[in-house]
Amino acid sequence: MIGLILRRLAQLPLILLVIYTITFVLSWLLPGSAVMSDEGRAPPKEVLAAMNAQYNLDSPVEFYVGYLDNVTGVRYVRETLKGDRGNPPEYIFDFGPSFRYEDWTVNELIASSLPVSIVLGFGAILIALVIGLGAGVIGALRPNSVADLLTLVVAMVGISLPSFVIGTVLLMVFPVWLGVGQVGSWGNAANALLPAFTLSLPFAAYIARLTRLGMIETLGADYIRTARAKGLPERIVIYKHALKNAFLPVLSYLGPATAYAMTGSFVVERVFNVPGIGQHFVGAVKNKDLFLIMGIALIYSGMMVVFNLIVDLMYRWVDPRIEQA
Amino acid sequence: MAKIAAVLGLLAVLLVGAALTDGPQAPADLTFIENVDPNTLDPQRMSYTQDFRLCYGLFEGLLRWNIFSEDFHVVPSLARRWTVSDDGLVYTFHLEPSAKWSNGDPLVADDFIYSWRRAMMPETAADYSALFFCISGAQEFFQARVAQLEEYASRPAEERTEAAAIMLRAECERLFNETVGLRAVDDHTLEVILARPTAYFLDLCAFGPFFPVHRPSVEAWVTVNPETGALAQAHGWTKPEHWVSNGPYVITSWKFKRELRMELNPYYWQPEIVRSRSIRVVYIEDMNTSILAYETGVADWHSDAEVEYVGDMLRQKREGLRDNAWNFSTFGTYFWSFNCRPRFSDGRPNPFHDAGVRRAFARAVDKEDIVRKVRRSEERVADVLVPRGSIGGFESPRGLTYDPDEARRELAAAGWVDRDGDGVPENERGEAFPTVELLCTAVGPHKNVAQAMGVMWERELGIKTKVAINETKVYRHRLHSKDYMMARGGWYGDYLDPTTFLYLHYTDDGQNDRGYSNPEFDALLDAAALELDPAKRMTILSEAERFTMEEEIPVLCLWNYDQYYMYKPPSKPYGSPNPGGLRNLSKHPRLVQYLWLLEVVQPGDPARPSIDADAFDFAEDEGGIGGVSTGQSWSGSQ
Repeated sequence: MIGLILRRLAQLPLILLVIYTITFVLSWLLPGSAVMSDEGRAPPKEVLAAMNAQYNLDSPVEFYVGYLDNVTGVRYVRETLKGDRGNPPEYIFDFGPSFRYEDWTVNELIASSLPVSIVLGFGAILIALVIGLGAGVIGALRPNSVADLLTLVVAMVGISLPSFVIGTVLLMVFPVWLGVGQVGSWGNAANALLPAFTLSLPFAAYIARLTRLGMIETLGADYIRTARAKGLPERIVIYKHALKNAFLPVLSYLGPATAYAMTGSFVVERVFNVPGIGQHFVGAVKNKDLFLIMGIALIYSGMMVVFNLIVDLMYRWVDPRIEQA
Repeated sequence: MAKIAAVLGLLAVLLVGAALTDGPQAPADLTFIENVDPNTLDPQRMSYTQDFRLCYGLFEGLLRWNIFSEDFHVVPSLARRWTVSDDGLVYTFHLEPSAKWSNGDPLVADDFIYSWRRAMMPETAADYSALFFCISGAQEFFQARVAQLEEYASRPAEERTEAAAIMLRAECERLFNETVGLRAVDDHTLEVILARPTAYFLDLCAFGPFFPVHRPSVEAWVTVNPETGALAQAHGWTKPEHWVSNGPYVITSWKFKRELRMELNPYYWQPEIVRSRSIRVVYIEDMNTSILAYETGVADWHSDAEVEYVGDMLRQKREGLRDNAWNFSTFGTYFWSFNCRPRFSDGRPNPFHDAGVRRAFARAVDKEDIVRKVRRSEERVADVLVPRGSIGGFESPRGLTYDPDEARRELAAAGWVDRDGDGVPENERGEAFPTVELLCTAVGPHKNVAQAMGVMWERELGIKTKVAINETKVYRHRLHSKDYMMARGGWYGDYLDPTTFLYLHYTDDGQNDRGYSNPEFDALLDAAALELDPAKRMTILSEAERFTMEEEIPVLCLWNYDQYYMYKPPSKPYGSPNPGGLRNLSKHPRLVQYLWLLEVVQPGDPARPSIDADAFDFAEDEGGIGGVSTGQSWSGSQ
């Protein structure tokens, strides 16, 4: 177990370096100037030259190395060791400034938007689990019944309807017609409910399908028949014996799903005006906001690795057979 | 299963906990919706409308505009009075002695000099640094600083030390003091010497980039970069915990993409003019969501409601179904640029180099049709670049109106006639008129406008077009490198003078994306710059506008932009107060709003008139706005 954690954590820097290199090459190749705003006034060319020099935008090699120097904390350590003559940056891991939001550093932007996305993403996954497991079990217990068909239909709707449609409908129904909640606000649990629900639907639908399949398979297994033959109540058979095994595929899906829910919510963030990190995935590229692009790419990949690790650990915990295998 | 349920339960508790610790703020006296976050709160670096809106609440400059007057004239702000020398070169401003920064520091003339120096330094990256070049020595200082930095960068690496960079900075300040015509006569007297008479200099003094910043706060985030010798300016001072400003408000909270909160500055020297003591700005990027938010009462004012269905909302208002949708004409013009260079960037000869061809294209476009049916708005059709009637004393020419016959005649006179009967005109050498690529971006009306113009040109002139939709960065890059045939464009004036538009056509001006160059036109602007008599100067500028808009057509103007607001009117149709309505928004085309004047009508409010131009000028007598006592020397200035 500890070996696994150590191994994965040792791989992390290598993965991040590869991701950084790819992201750097791609974003460097983006057309246009990073320091010039799109619709504002064009500053004198000397000003642009000064900005390019300040951020190493003239030389890809210097930029690549300089960014690594800052983001890994090497520069912070080096400058701190210099003592009085040193000039350490504001942060240990300095992700640099944002070009588009000139008053903010990338560190600040991530610090303000990542917690929002984590709350929203986790909330969505929780809702998805409740809906998905419930619907899946109902469907599996009475396959092809009306209830099964109904959950199937709901699942299909959840997968196929784009979230900006669901989101807008929810906004119209709850805050506008019923007067429940506020449009475009963030900051309390009630505000998070509608966007989390919208975000959860595709995940819920997928979890429902996984659970239903797993349950139907497991319910036909020999040990379930044995359990029933022992005279165990049906409730215990289903929840203790069957669901436990049927849950394993759902669990392995949860890792990437959670990371995706936390970051892949651009549309939901827009419709509900949630100040999360998803907006940056699109906005930063559009603005060629180099430091922001690389900052969120690194954060996202880091999260992916960590969540997959957590899922692997949970796997072993839920099903000890896996460790022996 | 129980294990998993336990984990999930724990997560749920954590989530609710996280959500509860991040609760929303208390309501404010005034709440308004903006679509985008400010780019920056640093006045010297600003160039966006939403940034300036905040700037005019957070900072106070030498002067302010009478935003309710027709001519948008300046009135005293921090400068209580001022004098101008007879040759129009020396301005002396006498500052309000009781003015303070929000930490209690006195505001002195040196604060202005420091802030203006920032704007003149290349490394500040001020979009408007060129506006300061009307000050004597400013341009020379800017160039000298550029040269200084280049020289420093060429030194061997071991000489580029922290100490050398600090020396360089001191040298730069000495250079500034020697070359630039700015002087603090005493703590409350600022003397400005101009390089040339600048008719609109007082107007600039009311413009955001000329507002002062608090030196110690800003300096705390400035470091010298030993490698380049340049000043590196971080912006930590714009955050609420470090914020110091001299305007009516200070920032008390700023959450990225969520909200920004301002409260009355405890040291503001004129608190009686402030109508709303606290202001909350809510940022909602999605247009539909922002309209829904306004409609459900999240805000008192929506500052930019340009959605596709805004036309329907305005119609509902005319039909009496709603009272909260408004459109105002602005100080901006939408146009399409012609590439005016002799050759395209790929080396082909450019037919648009010939002004006759450009005139033909302009004559063949039915603008009324485009604005009403394609753009589907009530915006004013524009045949000239400087919005008609926006500047007192400036007479707009007629411009070229829709006339397809004249268009065909112009094209033929330029040598383009259909010689082989295929419908497409050819020149004397028999080369067909090239297919015109119309460069634009995806968001907005551009594609539809391009297609409509293309149909008109094909119908009237036989010229084929194709629309090229590029990503904004690519579009911008192609525009600057003149790698296009025709491209969408637009311009909002920065200061109240025709030159804010006309310099777009000046040879090699930084904003001249057309590559247009005509010595005759440049001579007109140069002559205007030297002309001291305001009326004669305006006549020259009118001629320059006529020359470009009737003969040369470097840009094909289509309409003047409208701005769309949502707010409830302050009074009901019969004059009684309308609770929830908003008082004191300016409707002048420049659409500058002073946040401290805005006021939401409360239930039970007495009926008071909204502020008008006279009230703004002379309110001191009435205990209203404060600001002006009569008989100012500014009435004698130009």
